[in-house]
Amino acid sequence: MEAQLKNDLVNVFKSKLSSQMLLNLDTCSRCGLCTEACHAYASIPLVKYAPAYRAEVVRRIYKRSFTAQGKFAPVMGEAKEITDAALMELKEAAFSCTGCRRCMVYCPFGIDTQQIMSIAKLLLVAAQAEPETLSMLADMSVSKGENIDAFKEGFLSGIKRLEDQMIQTWRDEAGEDPIPTDVVGADLLYVALAGAHSIIPSARIFNAAGEKWSLSFFEAVNFGAFVGDPTKTKLILDRIVNEAKRLRVKEVCICECGTAVRVAKQLKGAPFKVVSLTEVHARYIRQGRIRLKKLPGSYTYHDPCQIARNGGVYDEPRYILSHLVNDFREMSPDPKYNWCCGGGGGLVAMGDETLDFRMQSAKVKADQVRGSGADVVVTACENCHTQLSDLNKHYGLGKEVRFLSSLVADALLPEPQEARG
Amino acid sequence: MSTMAFDKELDLRNLPCPMPVVKISKGIKEVAVGGVVKAVTTDPGALTDFPAWAKTSGNQILGTDEAGGEVSFFIKRMK
Amino acid sequence: MATLYYLILVPMVYLAVAVFVLGTIWRIGRLLAAPSAPPPPPIYPLRKPAWLFAVGDALLLPTVLRHNFRLWLALALFHLGLLALLLGHLELIAEFKILQVVPHGIFLGHGFVGLAVILCLIYFLCRRMVSPTKELSVPEDYLLLVLFLFTALFGAQMDWARTWYDYSSMGVDEYRAYLSSLIALKPNIEGVTSAGHSFMLVGHIFFANLLIMAFPFTKLMHAIFTFAMNKFRRG
Repeated sequence: MEAQLKNDLVNVFKSKLSSQMLLNLDTCSRCGLCTEACHAYASIPLVKYAPAYRAEVVRRIYKRSFTAQGKFAPVMGEAKEITDAALMELKEAAFSCTGCRRCMVYCPFGIDTQQIMSIAKLLLVAAQAEPETLSMLADMSVSKGENIDAFKEGFLSGIKRLEDQMIQTWRDEAGEDPIPTDVVGADLLYVALAGAHSIIPSARIFNAAGEKWSLSFFEAVNFGAFVGDPTKTKLILDRIVNEAKRLRVKEVCICECGTAVRVAKQLKGAPFKVVSLTEVHARYIRQGRIRLKKLPGSYTYHDPCQIARNGGVYDEPRYILSHLVNDFREMSPDPKYNWCCGGGGGLVAMGDETLDFRMQSAKVKADQVRGSGADVVVTACENCHTQLSDLNKHYGLGKEVRFLSSLVADALLPEPQEARG
Repeated sequence: MSTMAFDKELDLRNLPCPMPVVKISKGIKEVAVGGVVKAVTTDPGALTDFPAWAKTSGNQILGTDEAGGEVSFFIKRMK
Repeated sequence: MATLYYLILVPMVYLAVAVFVLGTIWRIGRLLAAPSAPPPPPIYPLRKPAWLFAVGDALLLPTVLRHNFRLWLALALFHLGLLALLLGHLELIAEFKILQVVPHGIFLGHGFVGLAVILCLIYFLCRRMVSPTKELSVPEDYLLLVLFLFTALFGAQMDWARTWYDYSSMGVDEYRAYLSSLIALKPNIEGVTSAGHSFMLVGHIFFANLLIMAFPFTKLMHAIFTFAMNKFRRG
């Protein structure tokens, strides 16, 4: 590695050293309690998948460049210079970690392995060694934000086609404008994903609840966060923030996408509230704005890490399911300890490249799903849905994997005439 | 437009996010520079994603074709 | 030998205290001077008041209790033992009325606290010799345990050795005279260098000095950082 690049990477590392990051790097006692917390280690018992080991890969470089011990007695902490080999190790550590933060629940100090992995990801970006697919996706999202006027027409024609479908299928409830866009003064801006499955069920529910809503031009998912590039993460999020400000909405509702919910909920000081789709649906039921019929079968719910453990949305999905089904079975005795699906952190977004690892590293998840005994696995995150579907196929679990929102849409009862006003 | 010649066809119907873009970016590398890929999608988001991807990746969308709730993109590999 | 004893018992002690104090201040100062970044989310569900639960997490180690009872037991014994020994050492400087709530001579535990700490240290060392903790460990982890072990062995032995060596020639009064003289900056080591088991005191102080000096530059800082870390997790 050239001296200039090495120097640049040390400076990039330095830019990440906030007080909280220093604590994350300086506190670990390598007690090893976190090893059993990681689904990857629990499924493939190789020490390189232990959270503390992943963190040590970053920590060794930190020690060499930024600590007295690493400078004067590098052998004590196995401090290391940044080299090409170290970059390879960083890549393996960072992109085999889904950022689920289950290890953080085990750690006696609460060390945030995901934060430490964010250093590894940023170093990889700076060395142009990050996974190509993820940076391609992030660049696409940024470009969309910069050129929205050029791409708007295509999007609107796509939405028009969906509306035609909706009007054909649900003639009565669809109304005249089933998927409103660009509504200045709307109460709620719904930020979906590219696929129709993320738009149609939600649109039906918003319309049934009489919501004054508008569909965002942008997709919710933040590929900048997956690749670990804070500049792109902000540019991608800003597209939505600017749209919400322009439309003067009161709420921004993020679709069933864990990363998107996590990134948007971290916004501080915005003139609108950020909520997940699940929270909105629970509210509609609580306020009597939608009524649901019970669905047959047995169901379990997979808590997406970024929405539950890292977002606090535990009760709402269970509340919704209590109105949807009679036979609900918890997957984990304590949802805080739910196993990650194994698809987060950009792993699912990398597609077939990561399929083998995703299947092997999530064996414990497959066992947990099987153990629930339910026929249907419900979740509220696109990544989890894809990964659970892949696991279902790979391990022959014989389950049906469903989005919570699509179940709600399926169970919608027509509104009483008087409520329709 | 549907008669436009192409070297490879990709079925990107009903895929989860972000597979349509991931598959097109990999698929385009399977034709020679100057070759054309036909990508069929049902995603409304793909209608903005594909042009944005083509712009950042330096490929060219020759045209689109709509039929029966599906959109076909004809994309030429430029480099 | 007399020179070596003097070097360990006087200049090295001052050096160790200076390194410990300045090093720790530097480490904390570095932390406070670092830029603050928007904190990542806490772990949900949240419990209020967060600071109280964070202090509980730091002191009681509930996550260890839940996932590894044996380790929790050893950690609890070890840390409580250290605390008891620390208080015991304060009594070697002067008598503290508040510590005499339970009337006792020097070292409430009669050597059993030291023994418990030693057993815990041996357990920690053994843990680091088997997978996966073995692969996670770095030389620092072993070195600190060994330093602790030697400090504790020499320290506890002094108490036990009273029955084997010339106990009456070096006891609490001599320790107090030595430590008080150090604090008064008028070092006097006469009383603690002439007994048959003086070499144990010198050994104890030598390893303790090394440990104290290592504190600011190793993971031992977790003793302070754990409170801040746990507060972040609790939100």
